[in-house]
Amino acid sequence: MDYIFDIFLISISAALINNFVLYYFVGICPFIGVSRRVDMALGMGSAVTFVMTIAVFLSWTITTLVLMPGAPVSRWVAGHFMSAEKAAGIDLTILTYIIYIFSIASSVQFVEMYVRKFYPPLYKSFGVFLPLITTNCAILFACLTVMSNIIGGENPIEAWDLGRALALGLFGGAGFTIAIVIMAGIREELDLCDIPAPFKGAAITLIVGGILAMAFMGFNGVDSGLKAALTGAP
Amino acid sequence: MTWVTIGLSAGTMLTMAVVLTAILGWANKKFQVDVDERALTIINVLPGANCGGCGYVGCGEYAEAVALEHEAVNKCTVGGQSCALAVAAIMGVEVGETLPYRPIVHCGAHYNDRLGRNEYRGEMRCSAANLVTDVQGCTFGCLGFGDCARACDFDALHVVDGLATVDYEKCVGCGACAKVCPRNIITITPFKSEQMLAVTCSNKDKGKDVITVCNVGCIGCGACARTSSLFTLKDNLSTIDYDAYSPTCSLEVLDACKKCKRQRLVFVGKPTTDDLEKTVDMEAPALIEPDFKTTVDDTEWRG
Repeated sequence: MDYIFDIFLISISAALINNFVLYYFVGICPFIGVSRRVDMALGMGSAVTFVMTIAVFLSWTITTLVLMPGAPVSRWVAGHFMSAEKAAGIDLTILTYIIYIFSIASSVQFVEMYVRKFYPPLYKSFGVFLPLITTNCAILFACLTVMSNIIGGENPIEAWDLGRALALGLFGGAGFTIAIVIMAGIREELDLCDIPAPFKGAAITLIVGGILAMAFMGFNGVDSGLKAALTGAP
Repeated sequence: MTWVTIGLSAGTMLTMAVVLTAILGWANKKFQVDVDERALTIINVLPGANCGGCGYVGCGEYAEAVALEHEAVNKCTVGGQSCALAVAAIMGVEVGETLPYRPIVHCGAHYNDRLGRNEYRGEMRCSAANLVTDVQGCTFGCLGFGDCARACDFDALHVVDGLATVDYEKCVGCGACAKVCPRNIITITPFKSEQMLAVTCSNKDKGKDVITVCNVGCIGCGACARTSSLFTLKDNLSTIDYDAYSPTCSLEVLDACKKCKRQRLVFVGKPTTDDLEKTVDMEAPALIEPDFKTTVDDTEWRG
């Protein structure tokens, strides 16, 4: 049961408490750029969720198999050139960033081709946003979070498995969608408002984003409370 | 150790490159979508304004519709006749008659002509003011907050003394203004000539009620309909049958225009040379420039 609680906590945390956009302030460019209409925001959010899940899957696999210290594939390859103890110390962590960007870019490209062929209406509604996701920092951030939970931890037993990583990707994307759709809803109302000239456009959007982030701060501490309640710790 | 690490890094990158290229290359072949050659050429001919005047989201969508679904070639209002000819040449079809579509504002009341105007302190938008009663007496006419002027991408519509006025020299007929007008008083009409006869009123109330709210609105007396068959009285409002309209107006029609007590039957469109000669002596009122001066403007910029 602990495992399910863990997944649950990771999901809630990624979607609401430590929302990528409103807590960590990553992925601000699509958050400002594509939050003009609710339907477009929903399309962007679903595209990001989709790509984020795939990217997290890829990065988890590559990190665990190749990049992390003592990863099976690199140890096996290195074993041909040096002694087994030395081969176990091979550390390719420096490659994480470039390989994550690499895998994100190609998965976006793949998804674009796939969607274009099999779901033309979806492709039309995504339009230019799908290629834009390539440089979406929220996705790289999700990959790096997964990485730090595999490599950075002191205790190897606590390293994340694929299920936890996928939960982070899926619900991180869901959190992004929630944030961008709320923002789009506010901006649609904002269009009807008499905004002072100096604040028009991006300025008022950033201010509203800040207030929204403050509202989301209300979730702070919910995770530790949940944890205490679920595990029954006093 | 170092050399093995370097070799492994290079090997990892190389393997990833090879694998991903193989997958993407395979996907590119497998998921290839055939784009019609003609659609690509049509996109190059279209103006690229992406205004949506044709009824499609953008020029690309329209080009695809023409190439694949045999949509009419003359839908582009911005490009007009020359664009339609070019598209027709690509598609190998004959182009029908293309009439330029232009907006007509069916209201003729400036601030002085409107009665029952009250102080309004809400958002200075037509869409907002339209929700409020008693902004002005007339519930059909132009509100004058300029939603249409803001919607215009071509600077062809301005609010002049409280009335939306089309600059037909600049207008391309995309229809953005007609879409945003909350009172639907702007219609997009095929112009058979440079100047078109139009009923510049939308008030469907009874004549007595119109007189109480407007100095110039159509009172539905029906004088025009009795004089010429071009006009019909619909819901207390004179309406022109544009299908029957011909650019050379018959004397009957001109007579009907003179008979209109409120002078609501007027020609709209580009000014003719005669009009320009007539107004050359008149002094145009000075344009009032908006004064946005703030303290910031006085400070020297040292960025």
